[in-house]
Amino acid sequence: MKDETKAAIICIAPAIAIIGTFTLFPIFYSFGLSTTDWDGLSPTINFVGLSNYSKLISSGAFWNSIKVTLYYTVGVSIISVIAGLALASLINRTGGRLASFYRVIYFIPVVTSFVAAGVVWKSLFSPAGFLSDTFRSIGLSPPNWLADPIWAMPALIIVGAWMRLGFNTVISLAGLQSIPRGYYEKAKIDGAGALNRFRFVTIPLMKPIILLLLIMSLVDAFLIFDLAFVMTGGGPLGATNVAGLLLYKNAFHYYKMGFASAIGVMIFAIVLIITLVQMRLFKFGRRA
Amino acid sequence: MKEMKGVAPVAIAVVIIVAAIAAVAAYVYLKPEEEVSPGEVELKFWNYWDGTNAQAIVALISEFEAENPNIHITNVPITWGELLPKLMATVAGGEVPEIAIGDLVWMSKLAGTGLLVPLSEFDDFEEIDYEDFYPEMRKIGRYNDKSYSLPVSANNLELFYNKEIFEANGLDPEDPPTTWDELLEIAQVCTDPDEGIWGMELYTGTGEGLTWQFQVYLWQAGGEFLSADLSSAAFNSPEGKRALQFWVDLIQTHEVSPPGPWGFFGQGKAAMVMDGTWMVGGWRPGGWAPITWDWGTAQMPIPSGGEPATNMGGEQIFIFETTSEKEAAAWEFVKWLTSKETQVKWDILTCFMPVRDSVAEDSLYLTWATTTEPRLVPFIECQQYAHARPMVVQYPEISDAFSEELQKALYGVVSVDEALASAEARVNEILAD
Repeated sequence: MKDETKAAIICIAPAIAIIGTFTLFPIFYSFGLSTTDWDGLSPTINFVGLSNYSKLISSGAFWNSIKVTLYYTVGVSIISVIAGLALASLINRTGGRLASFYRVIYFIPVVTSFVAAGVVWKSLFSPAGFLSDTFRSIGLSPPNWLADPIWAMPALIIVGAWMRLGFNTVISLAGLQSIPRGYYEKAKIDGAGALNRFRFVTIPLMKPIILLLLIMSLVDAFLIFDLAFVMTGGGPLGATNVAGLLLYKNAFHYYKMGFASAIGVMIFAIVLIITLVQMRLFKFGRRA
Repeated sequence: MKEMKGVAPVAIAVVIIVAAIAAVAAYVYLKPEEEVSPGEVELKFWNYWDGTNAQAIVALISEFEAENPNIHITNVPITWGELLPKLMATVAGGEVPEIAIGDLVWMSKLAGTGLLVPLSEFDDFEEIDYEDFYPEMRKIGRYNDKSYSLPVSANNLELFYNKEIFEANGLDPEDPPTTWDELLEIAQVCTDPDEGIWGMELYTGTGEGLTWQFQVYLWQAGGEFLSADLSSAAFNSPEGKRALQFWVDLIQTHEVSPPGPWGFFGQGKAAMVMDGTWMVGGWRPGGWAPITWDWGTAQMPIPSGGEPATNMGGEQIFIFETTSEKEAAAWEFVKWLTSKETQVKWDILTCFMPVRDSVAEDSLYLTWATTTEPRLVPFIECQQYAHARPMVVQYPEISDAFSEELQKALYGVVSVDEALASAEARVNEILAD
């Protein structure tokens, strides 16, 4: 073993110990739990093989939860990445002190707790709330957001995208600033308008960053729990009963820790697939 | 940087890992012993009472400690939604509170876990006058013919109405509805879409909120939720259809009730609502959610040919198995808190309903209720009609499934018959599992 390797081992040992105890061990433990009928309270645990998984596969509630989670995930990712890029472009043109001011403003939601944001947005969306009043004041009749099976998920997506927007903006901004100005000047000389410069210079050079943000958003948004828990409780008509919430209900309300662990393993598998696709797209190990 | 040679790096890595494990182990096993003098007992009491109820329990604990100087009780307030998950985590970690309260619907599960002390096995159990607790409450927390919990607080659901909306629509504010027909009539008179005011607010969200409200209408119509042996659904009956049809009529046919978020009555946007005893304490002046306009309470209106009914809510108190010394001290507190004398004080401080016959008939209590808070009287009078929700361990899951299927009828997606049939199928499937 080379000495550098040994030094590296020493440096990462504490991190490994912590991640091993608080991340890896619980993951493998829940793999184990998913093959039992443990109720979360009793001392008795029976091995039931894969029966939790066969129940899961035939459960309508589970597939509904995957469907609505994907809806949320795709919605949040696309909106927050596009809006983040657009905002970054605007801030990039502003420049100077104002730019750092905007950057901070848009970053605030990123460091806000999902629960706090959920509570505030819930009151904004309520029938007597600010958003509905604003709709009415300009002569539109607002949907009954969180109580409407069609509008409840878009409402969550708006909040989720808002929470992510700042992060995507800051990363996009860094990307934009790394594009040499010369490219734009040359394109200008060749007669390219603002739109064409964006399309033929910005987009191609930003592609790796857009892809990175998209995949990070997908993985992150798939784990949604707090927003749905606080804002809708999974309703109405199961429209926002996301996988994380279904897991929580089974574990802590229905006393089905084994079944809930199986849901957890499925979420793990789906996020793993997204990550593998990401590695493929980025040609893992090489620069994109 | 000078490079490290030989076995040193590996040794250091091992030392760090061992130290980390040792630190965790030391924390778990070598926690400083609480400083307790011989003969003194420290107990933790987990509950989800908040606001004025939290102040009341803290005051009562001090009173108990003054009478029992050897027993120290730490009040640990936890929210309702957090208490059960937290309990599960501590059970898994092997460290439980000595005393806790639970929602009635948790008790069928908790009683059978083997974690609780069977209270009826204490030598002096006979002395607490167990038969004085309401019979429906004594059914809760029973397992293998032993009692694992005692009733400590109670509430039920009755009608609240906004007297100012009544007056504005030419109705007598002292004449609340007594039948479903009158309720519908008044709701129609009071509904004003331009002002965003609804006649009657129903709970239409997913979960137990919908289920336990609907059960009142079901029982009033003469129906049952589960079969007598608790093995199958019983709500898909003519009575169940009548109750659900009434809700669908209010929401869909007459549009006097909003499907959607809860809370219109508290914002002055609904003329009537069925809500719990605790809201008398919340909405009154000085309460935790005071409202400024005049409001009253009344017994829930009943359908023609129906019977008065309400849903029984509340808490039960129980003791975890620890050491015999702690269990005995905990039992002293549980006996004291559930005794008639303490319960009278407790109910006056909190506006909870009596759990004992003798409290409901106590002259001090009755004088307080009729003079200080007469809006509690309909609740006290109707406590005798309170039904307990079925004591099955699957109840929380049944309740969620039931509410999800009923929502489809309330939103007009399926018919009343279809909603009850699919709810029946799902509930039976959960019970069979």
